[in-house]
Amino acid sequence: MSAVIQHYQSEFERAAPLLPWRDATGWQAWRQSAWSRFAEQGFPSTRHEEWKYTSVAALEKLSLSCAPATPVSLEWASLKDRVVLPEACGRLVFVDGVFQPTLSRVDGLPAGLRMGALSGRSTQDSLKLQGLLEQGQARTPFTALNAAFVAEGAWVAAEAGVRMEEPLLILYVVTEGQRAMHLANAYEAAEGSAFSVVEQYLGMTDEPYLVNGVTSATLGEGAKISHVKIQQEGARAYHIAALQAVQKRSSQFNSHSFALSGALGRNDIEAVLAEPEAAVSMKGLYRVSGRELQDFHTTIRHDSPDCTSDECFKGVLNESGRAVFNGKIRVAPDAQHTLSQQSNHNLLLSDQAEVDTKPQLEIFADDVKCSHGATVGQLDEEQWFYLRSRGLAADHARALLIEAFALDILTGIERPVLRDALESLLRRTAHV
Amino acid sequence: MLIIKDLHASVGDKPILKGINLEIKAGEVHAIMGPNGSGKSTLSNVLAGRENATVTSGSVLYQGKDLLALDVEERAREGVFLAFQYPVEIPGVGNVYLLKAALNAQRKHRGLPELDAMDFLALVKDKMKLMEMNETMLYRSVNEGFSGGEKKRNEILQMAVLEPRLAILDETDSGLDIDALKIVANGVNSLRAPDRSMILVTHYQRLLDYIKPDYVHVLAEGRIVRSGGPELAHELEKQGYAWIGDEPAGAGVKHGS
Repeated sequence: MSAVIQHYQSEFERAAPLLPWRDATGWQAWRQSAWSRFAEQGFPSTRHEEWKYTSVAALEKLSLSCAPATPVSLEWASLKDRVVLPEACGRLVFVDGVFQPTLSRVDGLPAGLRMGALSGRSTQDSLKLQGLLEQGQARTPFTALNAAFVAEGAWVAAEAGVRMEEPLLILYVVTEGQRAMHLANAYEAAEGSAFSVVEQYLGMTDEPYLVNGVTSATLGEGAKISHVKIQQEGARAYHIAALQAVQKRSSQFNSHSFALSGALGRNDIEAVLAEPEAAVSMKGLYRVSGRELQDFHTTIRHDSPDCTSDECFKGVLNESGRAVFNGKIRVAPDAQHTLSQQSNHNLLLSDQAEVDTKPQLEIFADDVKCSHGATVGQLDEEQWFYLRSRGLAADHARALLIEAFALDILTGIERPVLRDALESLLRRTAHV
Repeated sequence: MLIIKDLHASVGDKPILKGINLEIKAGEVHAIMGPNGSGKSTLSNVLAGRENATVTSGSVLYQGKDLLALDVEERAREGVFLAFQYPVEIPGVGNVYLLKAALNAQRKHRGLPELDAMDFLALVKDKMKLMEMNETMLYRSVNEGFSGGEKKRNEILQMAVLEPRLAILDETDSGLDIDALKIVANGVNSLRAPDRSMILVTHYQRLLDYIKPDYVHVLAEGRIVRSGGPELAHELEKQGYAWIGDEPAGAGVKHGS
């Protein structure tokens, strides 16, 4: 057994008596089998096709603690200015992976919409969670590790027909390094229901840590979930996450990802269009500088006819920043009348920056419309000259063009309050 | 206002301007005409500070300052304005944002207080009436999806807002139908002032029917080969450019012939 596995093995033994639902045999067996899966594979190496451009070797070397943390007390006032939607009527706050009831509020929710921390769920409900986290999950070593250790996370559930327009906020704050936090989120929208949820990850330490998350969204017939994820991790942080949405007939899943900081980010996002007339919009923006790396692996599975997917990822790469975009679209043999478009546009601001972009289309139906395109370019000299010729300072003109490129990704965010909040966040955090 | 002395400039390794001499006094309007490839656009670019043209020798004095030593944005703030032949589209940057940022950059440079949103909008809307522009164009991205005529009107709108000391209009008439040309010319004429000079760079005489220049210069192979009054433009109209050198027949002015 390698030293790395040995470390996590002892963490697994140390954490077991501290994890939630530990007395349920259903959980013990589940965690044990997940642990075995991880122990067999270990961390992925760059020889693995899916991890070709993203090395987690440095992460492997860290001896991170995996047991739940002792809660740190934080004042809301100290966080408020960095939170994207401080006035959200429903919010869950987690500090170092531990739920903070006093910083959270769930009292203003409409009847039929509930949200809370996973650890507060009954053993019976928690077992249902396993099903959600497991369903068709892209099984990576990280999701196995997550299943072995998962201790906390957020759930939101809307009953049939319940629609809530105001976005809910899930806030994960990290204040202490040398820790691995294994989080899970479960979003369930029953038939005809709708809600919007914003996950914000805020790193407040420059020490290394790992956020390893698994998120499941299930959408009933005609349901709609808008999901926004914002990564503002610490300078030496690792953020690894898998998200899967499973969609029934005529449902709509809107996903916006913003990877704004962190040493290494890896997101596997998958939408399964399981029934006809479902639609997914998958958008993202990654910004890297220094030696940061952001990696998005997306999969859209057109398993049924008459479904629509619209995917667009944009990247702004500065200094020695790197990014990976791998966009897989799979159209099943009977998924006729599929409408699918994918694009990935990258702005390289330095000679050292690098992006590896790869569309991957697997189309087995014949009556489909699928388009894809990727671009890698630099700032447009003509546009830059034009702005300067009107008196704008060179830096201002440059920032304006970068912003225009990046902010375009906000189209499709329907709530003006959320769009404005994201726009100001993106402007505030731009370090160009 | 502007004194150009023995100006030489190259694009890449190719010499384009080969000794331009020109003096423009305050309030004067000069037309620079010439066939394609004579160096008209390079001259506009050198004056505005575009980096694709390299000045190899000569000097340009603007209001007593060495214009060539100033950055692009400094020239603009000092009152040099280039109306582009092909105004670029800038998706995601609002027209109104650019106008306000440009005006305030200039005001700040001159030690004036920045205009607040209300005063600024009142000013812009006033100028838009002059250019017969719809206010909705303010809230679109810079030139994005504008027709050829709208782009040119937008250029003159910017000029009207920025009130330059020296305006260079590069082929402003190209791509305009007669109605749009009249509106643009009307806008330009209304901006004529004793303390404002203009350079009209044009291939055709047509623009000069609507904006009367004080002087006309003919540029050929990187030199000014003839200067005169407005009548020179009419002469060109009749004769084309063929007389000025070994121009192939096809390069002459076809307009009106």
